[in-house]
Amino acid sequence: MKFIVLVLCLLSGYANAHQFTPTYPKLEVSHILGVYKAEMVLFNAREEIRYYSLNVFDKDWNPIKFATESKLVTIDYQERKYVNIYISKTDVKKAKYICSKSKILESVKDPSIVASRICSKIE
Amino acid sequence: MKKLLFLIPALAVTTAAQANYPINGFIESKCVIQSDTAGMFGNPTVDELSTKSADGGVMPIIRYDIITASKYKAVITTPTNFSASPSLSDSVDWTSTTVAGQMSDAAMSIFNTDKVIYNNGHTTEFDLVKAGSVWFNVTSEAKYGVGKAFPSGSYTALIVAECIAK
Repeated sequence: MKFIVLVLCLLSGYANAHQFTPTYPKLEVSHILGVYKAEMVLFNAREEIRYYSLNVFDKDWNPIKFATESKLVTIDYQERKYVNIYISKTDVKKAKYICSKSKILESVKDPSIVASRICSKIE
Repeated sequence: MKKLLFLIPALAVTTAAQANYPINGFIESKCVIQSDTAGMFGNPTVDELSTKSADGGVMPIIRYDIITASKYKAVITTPTNFSASPSLSDSVDWTSTTVAGQMSDAAMSIFNTDKVIYNNGHTTEFDLVKAGSVWFNVTSEAKYGVGKAFPSGSYTALIVAECIAK
């Protein structure tokens, strides 16, 4: 076949969006001694996405240890989830960014694929 | 006296009917990433895949909504490999461009003036110094080894669109 149509879908055609707020979260003392907490809100309006990963980084984008209910958040389409990020007192000064990134299942062949990542900066 | 007794409850009812119910809202600074237009690879020659319309492709478009100016930077990274493809025996040479196309404020043209490109041209960083909506147009081309045809099958690649708080 001279012209094989090789279609690569890079982005989905319908409106879809990813939000992660606040822009500048504050680390506050949690109910656990020596552990600080940031409250984040994740909103998924990407119909083809059901999972978002969470990560914490320092100013040079090296990963920082943290705890949360699940580092892979399962979230439905048009759902809003409140996520608590717990960081040890020893890492509080180093922690700079809290990020959420869309995770795409291998089975999603559908019109395609943009991985979105939003990073908030710790005040 | 009887008239007065009727009048007082009537006035009370009127007051209740005119009570105000405020709608409260709060706009916080945020960045919203939306995939606006599906991208497609055209296959203009046997050894090339391209999203350019001249090559039969469709240019992917990513929309960013910026609520507050100068709070975020946008970082868009174009593909340097296929996330799924038939088995390839030779190397693939990738080239790409990312530009701010449609914009809700003409002043956003500064995004293109001040953009920074690195990672061998595959990553473009825009300082989002203006609030509003902007649509980033991405072109991506993949060229296979000299004189070789891409094997038939479906190809998938990934664009990473990021919003990083400043």
